[in-house]
Amino acid sequence: MSEKKGLYGIWLVVLGILILLGLYTALKLFIEGHGLFNTNDVILWSLPLGVYIFLALTSSGLTLLAGVPLVLKVKKYEPFAKRLVFLSIATLMGAFVAIGLELGSVQHMFWVFFSPNLSSPIWWLALIYSVELVVLIVKFWRMHKGDWHSSFSNTLGVISFLLAMIAPLMIGSIFGITESRVTYFGPMMSIYSLVLGLLSGTALFLLYSMIFHRVTGDGDVERQTSLYNEFTVIFAYIASIAVVFSLVKFAIESATTVPEFLIYHKFEHAFGAWQGFHFEVLLGLFLPFLLLLIPSVRRSVGGKTVTSGLILVGTLMMHMEILLAGQSHPVGPKAEQYPEFISYFPSIWEWLVFVFALAVMLLLYTLGERYLKLMEVPQ
Amino acid sequence: MSRYAMVIDLQRCVGCGSCSIACRNENNVPDGIYWSNKITETVGTFPNVRHHYIPTLCNHCEYAPCVRGCPTKAMHKLDNGITMHDPKKCIGCKYCEFNCPYGVIYFNWKEPHQFWKSNKVLLKGGTSSPQEEVEKIGAKKTPYFNPERGATLPASRPKGVVEKCTFCDHRVRKGLLPRCVEACPANARIFGDIKAPDSDVTKLLGKFRPFRLREQLGTNPHVFYVRDFNPAQYRPTKGGV
Repeated sequence: MSEKKGLYGIWLVVLGILILLGLYTALKLFIEGHGLFNTNDVILWSLPLGVYIFLALTSSGLTLLAGVPLVLKVKKYEPFAKRLVFLSIATLMGAFVAIGLELGSVQHMFWVFFSPNLSSPIWWLALIYSVELVVLIVKFWRMHKGDWHSSFSNTLGVISFLLAMIAPLMIGSIFGITESRVTYFGPMMSIYSLVLGLLSGTALFLLYSMIFHRVTGDGDVERQTSLYNEFTVIFAYIASIAVVFSLVKFAIESATTVPEFLIYHKFEHAFGAWQGFHFEVLLGLFLPFLLLLIPSVRRSVGGKTVTSGLILVGTLMMHMEILLAGQSHPVGPKAEQYPEFISYFPSIWEWLVFVFALAVMLLLYTLGERYLKLMEVPQ
Repeated sequence: MSRYAMVIDLQRCVGCGSCSIACRNENNVPDGIYWSNKITETVGTFPNVRHHYIPTLCNHCEYAPCVRGCPTKAMHKLDNGITMHDPKKCIGCKYCEFNCPYGVIYFNWKEPHQFWKSNKVLLKGGTSSPQEEVEKIGAKKTPYFNPERGATLPASRPKGVVEKCTFCDHRVRKGLLPRCVEACPANARIFGDIKAPDSDVTKLLGKFRPFRLREQLGTNPHVFYVRDFNPAQYRPTKGGV
């Protein structure tokens, strides 16, 4: 018991150090600007934005999953509902840390609301996620007070569910309406974002539950074995949709002769593509999907941990690959200043933004698990 | 209300870069940022090669993707068709730069004009530092700082926001031509009201077959190109098999 208390203390100290480091990074960025990032006027959006997209979509995925018991009223999943809502809030907070530092100023984040442009998907995205965060917090508070099914609480659940469905479509449309970048253009980006959000949300919940079970030994996974196994089947189904989308994407990319796609093939960087193979998709999606087809893997705690872990890392890498590949070549006269295609590796400050966002998220998970009875079910 | 447009005559343009230099001076453009730029192309295989040069600037599109996407209306259209940017509203999301099909928007990654804040001297006791030079001249920020740019836009834009060509809106409102137009020694840039039937711009567009960059995107750019500079001659031939 005292050993666990000791480990808990060490864990909190580690998170505290990482958050202090993150605050120092924020200060440094606010003072010196984004010259600290390995970005330029060709690669504009880098790791902090990729982390934001990944965490925001994961949060949407978690909210959609919470909607299964809370909105669609599949009562057997109620034991997961409160934890799902809380993880969604904490993950969204991590996303806000990443986007705040990507913008370089907290004031910038709020200014969005004072001069709205209704034709901008970024404006809608900021609005949707801000409202979603408030709604989720109120919903969680109602659940914590034992009010799971009053009309007010139900309405909050429905609103958050709808917002979580729209937000990924909006993230996709930020890229999808960019006519000038063909590797992004089209409605597929929105659907792809929704699928990846659902996939990473499911993966995060499974991974979190398995690790939490291992660390605390609370016996929850044994008590709810069949529920977790069913959940893993849902996970496999969602992964299969992502596999189909990825195959379609590969087919289009390999068949086309559009120059931007050809550059995409040449482009190799730190997030998985190497020697013409997209390892982030092979190891982060196809491999775990194949593993999930094996019943013994789906049923074992180790199998759930490995597959969800691989997919979680894989989706982050896939977001980064997509984000960078569309920006890898200079547009118009920028080709005068920059080479034909540009490689990218994050600077230490970009990694620290990533670490800061994760640390905030993990601290919230830790405190929530400790004080907020996340496995509670309605009376 | 006027609708401003520019015609660039590629036959007259000699690629001297005066437009770019004049633009930098007029608008206090920092290092690494180009409001006025160029696309150069080399075509053919040696020894049959040729160099092409297309000056570029903001196209002040009618359906500007940068304006559509800007979340705070920092990038906006003026009644006279100029695409204008308000750094006070800019949140630094860079979506306009991402969305611009023409690569003419730049981000201030660092505090601009840092070079001129330096105390370093090349030769101790021999040369003055950049900062000393600015102080001796009594200028602000750079020795060639133009305070008139500040009439409609911060004279020097801060870090963390984007910037781009404004068709020298601060000059146009005073009845002056954009600085690049005025500075062009070959009169290759013609500026005016595209709605006025008797403007030089309108006349030129009716006289030649103009083209615009990436017209297929439907953004309706308002920078037009006419003619081409090509003194090459060739013996009349039907080719052969």
